[in-house]
Order: sequence, then structure tokens, then C-alpha cells
Amino acid sequence: MSSLFGTMAIAVGALGAEQGAMNATTNNVANVNTPGYSRLRPVLLENEPVIYGALTLGQGVSLEKLESLRDPILQLRIQEETQQQGQLNTFVSGLQQAQVQFTGSGNDIGTAISGFFSSLNQLSTDPTDLALRQGVLTAAGNLANAFNNTAGNLLQQKTTLDQSVTQAVQQVNVLTAQIAGLNTQISQLEGVNLDASALVDKRDVLIGQLSGLIDVSTIQSDNGLTLTTSNGTALVAGGQSFTLSTQTDPSGTQHIFSQASDITAQLTSGQLAGLVEVRDQTIPGLLSQLDTLAAGLANGLNTANRAGYDLNGNPGGDLFVPPAASGQGAALNLKVAITDPSLIAASSDGTAGSNGNVAVLAAVHDQPIAGGQPPESYYANLVSEVGNDVSNASAELDSVQSILTQLQDQRNSVSGVSLDEEAANLVQYQRAFDAAAQVVTTVNDMLYTVINMGTLTG
Amino acid sequence: MSSIRINPFPIPDLLQALEKLQQQQNTATLQLATGSRINQPSDDPEGASQLVQIHDEESQVDSFQSSIGTVSGLFSTADSTLSSVVTVLQRAISLGVEGANGTLSDSDRADVAAELSGIQTQLLSLANTSYRGQFIFAGTAETTPFVLDSTSPSGVRYAGNTGTNFVTIGSGYQVQTNLPGSQVFSGAGADVFQSIQDLITALQTNSGIATAVDEVGAAFRYVTSQRVFYGNASNQTDSQSTYLNSEKLNLSQQENAVSATDMAAVATGLSNGQLAANATLEAISRISQSTTLFDYLK
Repeated sequence: MSSLFGTMAIAVGALGAEQGAMNATTNNVANVNTPGYSRLRPVLLENEPVIYGALTLGQGVSLEKLESLRDPILQLRIQEETQQQGQLNTFVSGLQQAQVQFTGSGNDIGTAISGFFSSLNQLSTDPTDLALRQGVLTAAGNLANAFNNTAGNLLQQKTTLDQSVTQAVQQVNVLTAQIAGLNTQISQLEGVNLDASALVDKRDVLIGQLSGLIDVSTIQSDNGLTLTTSNGTALVAGGQSFTLSTQTDPSGTQHIFSQASDITAQLTSGQLAGLVEVRDQTIPGLLSQLDTLAAGLANGLNTANRAGYDLNGNPGGDLFVPPAASGQGAALNLKVAITDPSLIAASSDGTAGSNGNVAVLAAVHDQPIAGGQPPESYYANLVSEVGNDVSNASAELDSVQSILTQLQDQRNSVSGVSLDEEAANLVQYQRAFDAAAQVVTTVNDMLYTVINMGTLTG
Repeated sequence: MSSIRINPFPIPDLLQALEKLQQQQNTATLQLATGSRINQPSDDPEGASQLVQIHDEESQVDSFQSSIGTVSGLFSTADSTLSSVVTVLQRAISLGVEGANGTLSDSDRADVAAELSGIQTQLLSLANTSYRGQFIFAGTAETTPFVLDSTSPSGVRYAGNTGTNFVTIGSGYQVQTNLPGSQVFSGAGADVFQSIQDLITALQTNSGIATAVDEVGAAFRYVTSQRVFYGNASNQTDSQSTYLNSEKLNLSQQENAVSATDMAAVATGLSNGQLAANATLEAISRISQSTTLFDYLK
């Protein structure tokens, strides 16, 4: 048989539970705009009933816990796509800067090559004309400048990327240290069965940021959360973080080290992977093709110039400073070897008025001097290669972006705070609280009646 | 609640859509402004590569055209010079015929001979004609091609060389631009300066005048035949110039086909994009003004 005091206790318990539930709603409303916040839901549990002979009497409600609503699998997918996005974003913006060099701006290599051969065609009409000879030298200078500037800008970009690598590594270290700190706090709280959801939310945000920078795999185990790169380099293990460092190699490029091992080439996603890809593959690839073209042109034109005679009847020399035999640095260092226009070997027989060798020089336009192709075709292929790289990576970035948007929508549909929902909950909890309070008042009245029973009869 | 909970935060998605629209509009505006749909290689890698080749071909065609302009001037100067030479030689023949008339006195013949000396000087000057500072009949030499030389039987010596030049006026198409003076003014059985000198001597000695006149006649026919070279060369460059003009047109059509902005399509796209952007903005403003249940709980 239940007692009035028992009923009173149930009502008071209900007041506490509803208050607790309201606390969840209040916290949700307060954090409606907090990034990474996962909404709380009160978990109300019916108390164990008391069995009294044939009667089973309910013992009211208690608030078991406030549960954070999050989908760990979704969280992992978001991390993965964030890594992809970080890599592609960096890659595309790096390439977009590089492709500016290959835009037909009038100062590009393609235009400079055309201009040079055009000046040779002019010279053939009057090989003794110093103005036309100067025109050829100027065009040769423009050609050298176009190569120098393009290669120089690419190298400059490489240096900038190198600095970004160092910065990104520093950011990674800051984030892993913060995550390790949170890991410690979370396992302490969870060790004594306390709710750590606020810290977990915070950690998810940090892991999200880390994913933008480097490829992260998350392993949840009994002794906390472990973060590694996809090739297994430890970043965080429970409360301990492992810092990455950068070291300069002999060529002046920053390599990324975890303890003693060089992990530069093993990064597969995140901003760092994108930076490293543009810095170590794309730009060196472009530079090496520019070198091939510059060396091919310089050697081809030098050979042609040496085949003729200059205005003074002397055998022709080099038109360009001969590039290194390996061709390395040819584009950056391409330089016209002569300043005296009379040294252009236009003559094929040593007479001043002969233009026979101009045709030999001009023929380089159609000779396979670079990778088996004439100069302008080689350059045209290079342009299409750069363009393809950018447009493919941009398309990939677009698709990653839209996947990420969808995943975030999904995350929000699970974890995001809806104000309508919270308002409805608030009303619901308030009404329940009111009702429980009413029960307390009623029981109080009943107790009063009981207490005064003797007084009335006696 | 069994239905799928919807994402309560639509605004970030809308902002992203807005950004995308903005990007599309920027691209469209650039395409309209430049008239080209390829403003960087990634816009159309294959097209950008074709453009490099087309621009190079255009530059080549331009330089061939310009070369043709220069050599045409050379050809017409040479042609009109040789035309003058022919006229002068005709005058020499008439003078010779006049001098052969037996009624002339010695002093009359001396006058004719004197006039022929003048003609010799005139021919020398014509043979030393230059075009833009270059002697046109000196071969590939830089020197004055015909100089007076008393040790030479004709009184004139050729100081040029026998070199010839070629100018490229098309891809793999070269045209010869000069004939050496030694070839223009003397050939088998014909020599301009020698024939005039011989006629002067014949008039002075009053012997062999008719033979000397025949000699001048041969020189006249020879120079006339040499003049054909320049006429042919002019024809060649003229027809090549016509070809290059059509080639240029062809290239610019190719360039258009590869890169020209489809103005109507892009402009339509731009205004559609504008519409979509406005609608998105409208949606964002509606959402931010929209009420929640809280507004009704008063």
C-alpha cells in the first residue's frame, strides 16, 4: 500500500526530472549557433515499481542522463571528405597560380617564340639592316625573359608553398596537443561515469580542423582515442601527442618528419598532401618541361647560328649562352649570348648581303628540338597539360565539396538544434513540471486533512 | 518521432550555392568582356593548346606578309630600273642608227658619241640603283656593284658578287629576291656596257657602226629577257599574298570556332544566374526573418 509521503516523493522526483530535462533544452537553445555542438536529449527512465501483493505501484520517473546525439560514422565520413577537400583545395589554388604563367597574355613563352621567329623572317628581307638585326636580338631577349620569368615565378611559388608546409605542420602540432589534452579530460570524466559530451564536441571540432591539414585515421579504443595518419604515423595516442617536425633537405626544401622518419611522400590527403604534391611534383614537372624547351631552343638556334657568318664575315658563334648539358635550370638561366647585332650569322657564304643562314635559323621553328616536337607544339602541349591538371582537380574538388555539404546536412539533421523542437519540448517539460507541482500541492492538502483528522473527532 | 529529422540550418548551404552562382557570373562576365571563352588554360585545355598553335601560325603569316611587302618594293624598283635601262638602250640604238647615216659629218658623229657617253653614265647609275640602302644588282655584296675602270675594255668593272638571296614567303616556300648584276647586264653574246662602249668607238672611228648597233640590240633583248625574272617574282609574291590573306581569314575563323564566346548563350546564362542569385538571397532573407515556435509562446 502506498503512502501519501510516497506519492509526495514521486511528485518531487518528477519535478527534479523535468527540471533536468529543461536544462537539456536550455543548453540546446543556448548553443544553437555553436559550431560542432551536438544537441542534448534527456533520457527519462521509469523507476522500478514496488510490488505490493497483487498491486504493482509505479515509483515515478528519474532523469538517467542527458544524452548527446551524434553519429560517429557520419563524423568519420566528414573527416575523410574534409581531408580530401583540404588537399584538393590547396592543390587547385596552387595550380591556378601556376597556370597564370601559361595564359596567352602576350608576355607568355608561346608569344615570345612566335615573336622571335617572326623577327627572323623580317631579317631575311634585308640581312644588312642593323635595325632588323637589333629586332632579332630584342626578340631573343624577350624569349629569354619569358622563360626566366615563368621559371622564376614557379620557383617563387615553390618557396611560398614550402613556407606553407612549415606553417601547416605547426598547426598540426597545436591541434594534436589540444586533442591529447581533451582526451585526458574526457577519459577522466568517463572513468567516473560523468558526461563528457561537451568535451567530445570540442574534440570533434578540433579533429575536423586537423583533417583539413593532414590525413587522419581515428581509432577509438578502451584507453581513449588514437589518431594516426593513413600510413600509421602516430599523431595522438590517448593523452599523448606526437609532434611533427620539418627539416630542410640539401636542395632547401622542407621535409616533414615524425620522430626520425621522413613522412613527406606518404601523406595522401589534407592540406599538407596538397602542398607537397604541388611543390614536389607539379611545379618540378613544369619546370623540367620548360627546361627541355629552353635547352632545345637554345641548342638548336646556337647550332644554326654557328652554321653561318656574321655581318663582318666571321663564322657565327652562339646566339644564347649554352645551357647545362643536363638541361637543368635552362629556362631560369636562358640568356642571350651576344649584344652586338652584327654577330647574328645571317650570311651563308660570308658575304654581308647574304641571308642564306637566316632560313637555317628560322627552320628551327619546325624542327623537333624539344621532346621530339617543334617548340611551339611542345609549348602548346604543356599549356593543355597545365589546363587539364587544373580542370580535373577543380572538378574533383567540386564533387568533394558537394559530398561534404551533404554529409554536414546529415550531421546537422542528427545533431543540430531545432528551435521549434526545443520550444515544443520546453512547453512539454513546463506542463509536466506544473502538473507535478500540482500533485505536491494536492498531496499537501491531503496530508493536512489527515493530520487534522484527530482534532476534528476529539 | 519516426520521420527523418531535417537539417535545421539551411543557411550555410544557401551561402555556398550563392558563392557558386557568383563564381559562374564572374566567369560569364569575363567571357563577355574578353569575347573569349578561354581566359586561362583550365577553361578548355585542348582549346588553349590549339590557340597557342593558331596564334603562332598567325604570327608566321603576318611576318610572311610583311616580308612580301618588303620584297615587292624591291621587285618593283628592280623592274622599273630595268625598264629604264631598256628605254635608254632603245635610245642608244636610235642614236647608233642615226650615226650610221653616211651623210653625217665627223663632228656630227662626235656629238652622237658624246650623247652615248652620257647614256653610258646613265646606265652606270641605273645599274647601281639601291633599295633601302642595298644595291639591288650587287649580288650579296655590300659594295657599289659597277665601277668605272679604264683597264676594263668596257670602261666599267663589276665589283659585286654572284650571290643570290631567298626570302621565305610561306611555310617552306621561298622566293629568289635578286639577280646578280653580272648576270643582268651581261650574258652570252650580250653586254650592256661593252656594247655602248663599242658603239662609241665605232662612231668615233666611223667603222663597224652597224655591227655595234646590232651589239646594242642584242644587249637590249638580253636585258629585256632578264627583266622577266622580276615580273615573275612579283606575280609569285602577289598570288602568295592573296593566299596568305585567305589563310589569315581562315586562322581567325579557326580561332573564333575554338575560343569565341557564344554571346547570346553567355548573356542568357548571366541573366539566369542573376535571377537564381536573387532568388537565393530572397530565400536567405525569408529564413532569417522566419518565426519559430518561440514567437508564439507568449
